Amino acid sequence: MKTSHDFVQELDARRGKIISQTGGWFPGKGVYSHGYSMLEELVGEKSYFQILILNATGKLVSSELAQWMEAVYGCLSWPDPRIWCNQIGALAGVARTSAVTATAIGCLATDSRAYGVMPLMEGVGFIQEALLRHRQGMSAEDIVKDATSARGGKPFIVGYIRPIAKGDERLEVMEQVSQKLGFAEGEHLTLAYAIEKVLMEKFDEGMNINGYVSAFLSDQGFTAQEIYQMFAMLVASGVTACYLDTKQQPSEYFLPWRCDDVQYTGPEKRSVRDAR
Amino acid sequence: MADHQHDKVRSRNEAFSDKVSSKISSEDASFGNPYIAENVRWYGYDVEDLMQNASLVEVFYLMFRGELPSAADARLLETLMVALINPGPRHPATRAAMNVGVGKTETTHILPVSTAVMGGEYLGGGSIESAMRFFRKYSKKDPEDVATSFADALVTDASSIPGFGKYYGDTDIFSAKIVQSLLPLSQELSALHWGSALASALASVNIGWLMPGVAAAVFSDLGFHPRSGAGLFQLMSAPGLLAHGLELANKPITAMPYVSDDNYVIDTPSKA
Repeated sequence: MKTSHDFVQELDARRGKIISQTGGWFPGKGVYSHGYSMLEELVGEKSYFQILILNATGKLVSSELAQWMEAVYGCLSWPDPRIWCNQIGALAGVARTSAVTATAIGCLATDSRAYGVMPLMEGVGFIQEALLRHRQGMSAEDIVKDATSARGGKPFIVGYIRPIAKGDERLEVMEQVSQKLGFAEGEHLTLAYAIEKVLMEKFDEGMNINGYVSAFLSDQGFTAQEIYQMFAMLVASGVTACYLDTKQQPSEYFLPWRCDDVQYTGPEKRSVRDAR
Repeated sequence: MADHQHDKVRSRNEAFSDKVSSKISSEDASFGNPYIAENVRWYGYDVEDLMQNASLVEVFYLMFRGELPSAADARLLETLMVALINPGPRHPATRAAMNVGVGKTETTHILPVSTAVMGGEYLGGGSIESAMRFFRKYSKKDPEDVATSFADALVTDASSIPGFGKYYGDTDIFSAKIVQSLLPLSQELSALHWGSALASALASVNIGWLMPGVAAAVFSDLGFHPRSGAGLFQLMSAPGLLAHGLELANKPITAMPYVSDDNYVIDTPSKA
């Protein structure tokens, strides 16, 4: 067992030293990422999304997959300030922060259990687990039954059902993109469609873009954690757009709240002296 | 790819609230302008009344509990706040603040950047909620038994008990000293006392209190909700983070070490 003395020695060996498993910049020599010379092999040779995925996962993917990712980014970041992360950007515009602040905090907001990037991990976890069980003989109907019984009979499965609206207009668009880029339907996606069919028949609910992305990228061999990392700054452009929209208008014009637009539900008026 | 039938897109027409509601703040609009508040109350107390008759720590407690604290609770909270006010120059959050400062980043970003790092699970607010739930679950049990039940897990992962663990391979002496200062202010049947007994039971395997665990115990004893723990910890460390960031903001970029190329090793297995 490692003693604290051993541990101190290990730490001392790393003082003033960086040991990177990713890459680095050496002035006059080069810049490296996952074994690639960035300026000789990546910049101008590979797309930004290929480099983004390389930095997020250590995998250099095909240009087709990078194009697919770029397309899906376009599906998941819209300039509508009613969406929570975008509204944060819009309020940053009201408050006259910098564009970088607005965009960064909007992206931070998508670390949410309810929407944004974090649910992708659950979506991927669901479809990958479902496929393992499907391979062991479980039907799509049984998978749905199992998932819904764990949720009091409600079809709350991440990747299916969408807040605010039913159905998802992005599915057909991404299906066309996948087809155009030459991607065949993989095992995860086939099962995802079978699950959607059951949900539509039994609950009038369908797949959402999370379900599609989770299944498609699972078919490309990514883990849930890798997919989460690939989408870290997913909503950036929509947030920037919402920030600019309010920043270019007078500060107090965005969804103004009167004093009585906040309904007070706390204790009656009281004094500190009475509380002592 | 085959054509697949999807659900038709239509709005769910969910019923959203017309107004946001709050138990915290009430604002009386002025006569001439409904957007300008004339009187402001928090949990029913007029702000001017609080300014004149309550201390900062009492109002801090009020914000999260909805009531003013007892004198004993105010003293305990204030003492903890002093202990947490500066996580020290080597904490990752403070080092992030220093990088903001020395990098000549806008000083408005020192707090968002450094408190975000302070939200991490290692020595940060990210571990407080699970530590508070751990105290809720186990603090009625014998601490010796709890230590024994975690013995195997701790061999594989020294951080198996939230709020406790190793610090640079050892127990954290400073956290233990902080606990000793807080114990006289804490009731006997408190999470803090129980946690101290647990720390004693874990000492033989070189595991002890970590600062988020200390905070989590006191937060539990003061009745804060576990979900508020992370933010409280971030908030209480904010002054020290800001001070360290500002200390470097007017210094040249050379005021912090920069690792030389000779000491930068790329240890990448092979091309992906």
